[in-house]
Amino acid sequence: MKSEELKNQEYKYGFTTDIENIRAPKGLTEKTIKFISKIKKEPKWMLDWRMKAFNRLKALKEPSWQKPKYPKIDYQNLYYYSAPKSIKDKPKSLAEVDPKLIETYNKLGIPLNEQKRLSGVAVDAVFDSVSVATTFKGELDKKGIIFCPISEAIQKHPDLVKKYLGSVIPISDHYFATLNSAVFTDGSFVYIPPNTRCPMELSTYFRINASETGQFERTLIIADKGSYVSYLEGCTAPMRDENQLHAANVELVALDDAEIKYSTVQNWYPGDKDGVGGIYNFVTKRGACKGKNSKISWTQVETGSAITWKYPSCILQGDNSVGEFYSIAITNNHQKADTGTKMIHLGKNTKSKIISKGISAGHADNTYRGLVDISAKAKNSRNYTQCDSLLMGNKCGAHTVPYIRNKNSSSTVEHEATTSKINEDQLFYCNQRGLNQEEAVSLIVNGFCKEVLQQLPMEFAVEAQKLVSISLEGSVG
Amino acid sequence: MEQLFKIDLKKINTSSQKESLERKKNLELFFKTGLPNKKDENWKFTDLNSIINKNFKKILNNNEFEFDKKIELINDFDHNNIVLVNGTFKSCDIQFEDKEKVKIESLNSLEDFECQKNNNLHFLNKALSLGGFNLEVQKDYKCKKPIIIYNYFTSNLENKIINNSNNIKLHRNSELTLIEYNIGEKSKFLKNTFEKVNIDEGALLKNIILQKTKCNGFFYKNISGSQGYNSSYQNFILSSGLKFNRIEIDMNLNKENCNCFILSGLCLGKKEHQEIKTQINHLAPNCKSYQKIKNVLEYDSNGVYQGKIFVKDIAQKTDAYQLSKALILHDEAAFNAKPELEIYADDVKCSHGSTSGSIDMDAIHYLMTRGIDKATAKKLLINGFLNEIFENIHEEKIKVFLQKIIKEQINGI
Repeated sequence: MKSEELKNQEYKYGFTTDIENIRAPKGLTEKTIKFISKIKKEPKWMLDWRMKAFNRLKALKEPSWQKPKYPKIDYQNLYYYSAPKSIKDKPKSLAEVDPKLIETYNKLGIPLNEQKRLSGVAVDAVFDSVSVATTFKGELDKKGIIFCPISEAIQKHPDLVKKYLGSVIPISDHYFATLNSAVFTDGSFVYIPPNTRCPMELSTYFRINASETGQFERTLIIADKGSYVSYLEGCTAPMRDENQLHAANVELVALDDAEIKYSTVQNWYPGDKDGVGGIYNFVTKRGACKGKNSKISWTQVETGSAITWKYPSCILQGDNSVGEFYSIAITNNHQKADTGTKMIHLGKNTKSKIISKGISAGHADNTYRGLVDISAKAKNSRNYTQCDSLLMGNKCGAHTVPYIRNKNSSSTVEHEATTSKINEDQLFYCNQRGLNQEEAVSLIVNGFCKEVLQQLPMEFAVEAQKLVSISLEGSVG
Repeated sequence: MEQLFKIDLKKINTSSQKESLERKKNLELFFKTGLPNKKDENWKFTDLNSIINKNFKKILNNNEFEFDKKIELINDFDHNNIVLVNGTFKSCDIQFEDKEKVKIESLNSLEDFECQKNNNLHFLNKALSLGGFNLEVQKDYKCKKPIIIYNYFTSNLENKIINNSNNIKLHRNSELTLIEYNIGEKSKFLKNTFEKVNIDEGALLKNIILQKTKCNGFFYKNISGSQGYNSSYQNFILSSGLKFNRIEIDMNLNKENCNCFILSGLCLGKKEHQEIKTQINHLAPNCKSYQKIKNVLEYDSNGVYQGKIFVKDIAQKTDAYQLSKALILHDEAAFNAKPELEIYADDVKCSHGSTSGSIDMDAIHYLMTRGIDKATAKKLLINGFLNEIFENIHEEKIKVFLQKIIKEQINGI
């Protein structure tokens, strides 16, 4: 094992685009929030909502119980809003879009102009904080599906936003969620009308640009009765030395018989091989299975960020509702991850399944932290949890911290976890058949992660598989 | 806190000015921090502050040690005995062992009695502890018969708190089976015990914790230990019947090839709350730890297991296992678990499993079709569920005795 010799592959997506920015005044003040609200042309109720969150924030303390520690963030030294200038006159077609933006997307591998023809994926691309172009609108419109930036939804669909925004992650939640509620700039809004199956995978590529800008996304997805939607989130970020904060909130609401599938591939800048720089990814993701027979499924592949700290959760309120969580977290060099899920069973016959695969190499620390809570009323509920960790070298750490609560006699909770290294016999077997060490490791790790990878939609599966291999290149010698 | 705890330090005989100052200081520290509550991560599932406040209006320190009864000894197998009354050393009889090989005395000096973690209850113990026993087994001596500690609690302990500390040391290549047998009368009291265990190279300690009858005691016990090369520590926790019990075991596996077993089988009844919290630190290569915690929960009882395995980066070839299983027989009962792994070495085999659920109805059905009535079938299954933990006890007589105790407990629920 030569983990010290890890080849630190240069970050492929490390570039910044030189576009002049409009910025909110520096610092977290009432003025900043008013500025954001004004520039977004928000109605008064929205500003009031933000102010309420801001006032609540003053009473909250930044949490410190997590395993990965980080230097104190100076919230007054951040810009809370920055937008590409060319947004003022929004382009009507792709031809009018700032060519520099198009170039950035091309580098990112999102050929907007080819998207329609090639993959059938509608992309609502967020450059910094403002959505620039949305494709496939026509087709979605026909079905009555709303897929737009949340700032647009606040203006055009205030009733829906009012009803559901903050219904899963209330403004009085924890520090980062409340911070997001006060200063969120943009994000996606999805509404699937009753008995509609969304004809394509909806996707947003986030992109962090502009130095010292924390990005505060807010995503709200509502699947009305009997509907289905699959949503993809993929992330890349430019190379930079300062740590950048990303505190997004994602809220999912599934009504009766609805299903939401939310997949993430996160490949933000993890810092260099000595642990300098990198993104702080402190995201709050929570879904509520409000209706009967509803289902929410989270799939995540976390390979980037200096610190990943998130727990996509499911609140299983409706009877017979189902929550799923599939996760791969790969940490290398000095990366740290503290991730997992919460499954809160409230309704009868609710089921949840957790599959988590953590891989640690170099000096990294990887923690699975999860909660399974079966309330007294959740009769006949069931949970199955499996967390496996793979360690490469003795300078990294793998930790498992599950919280299990079972409060009734008709429910069953099962949890199992293992920690091991790559089996020498398996490596030898692969070598014997002509695979070199690296290919063998890649094959074994991909096999180790298979249960999760196969949950990803086609569009992501290939990229994710490659990412898994790239992230660990050279970690076994 | 001062309103609840009516502590009178004058009741304690102190030998020096320094000691009394030390006690005062620790009592102040305890009052400052108070009883642990839910906000403390280590006490997340057991809010001691609210449990004590709910059950006690006032708590006094104990100065009752009068005892004139004759303790009914266990007749099932030959054994040596130590008698503790209300936590303090009363007498001992080690008739089966060679002279000067086993040293048992009253423990007075509590110096260097440090706990591995900062703990409010440790401040309280340091302030009020009246000692306990000191037990040493000399090197190369294997005890012929087990030692039973008759831990007797008198009936005049209502609203009292007992603080004691014990010290157990096994020198090189020695062996001992130590059975703690708690006998309590009806009074409602608190017990706060800190125990230090040192197991030297090649030594083996088997520790069995038992409860004779149901008891209104609220027990807290912290066992801090360290193990030498090739040593073995086995702990069997069968302390069902207490209103409240929390046993914390912090064990350091300091040298290679040692092993640590923690096995527990508990049947919890009405308003009972028991927690087992372990931290096994694998600090050297080639060590093994094995934990198996089994709970049967009836009525509104509450079972908790918090276990942590820590593996240091040099502790390669560690084999660590945690298993917690709970049978929840009633809707008001609850089981909470937090089996935690913190691992920094890669060539290890660490795993844990945790299950909780109700009794298998198919199995009951199977037994009923063979002519066994439902209640008996249920008891049979529970018995099978709990009996698994006795695999490691090889002395037939002790095994039979423990199985008898388990059976009585099952019949009691």
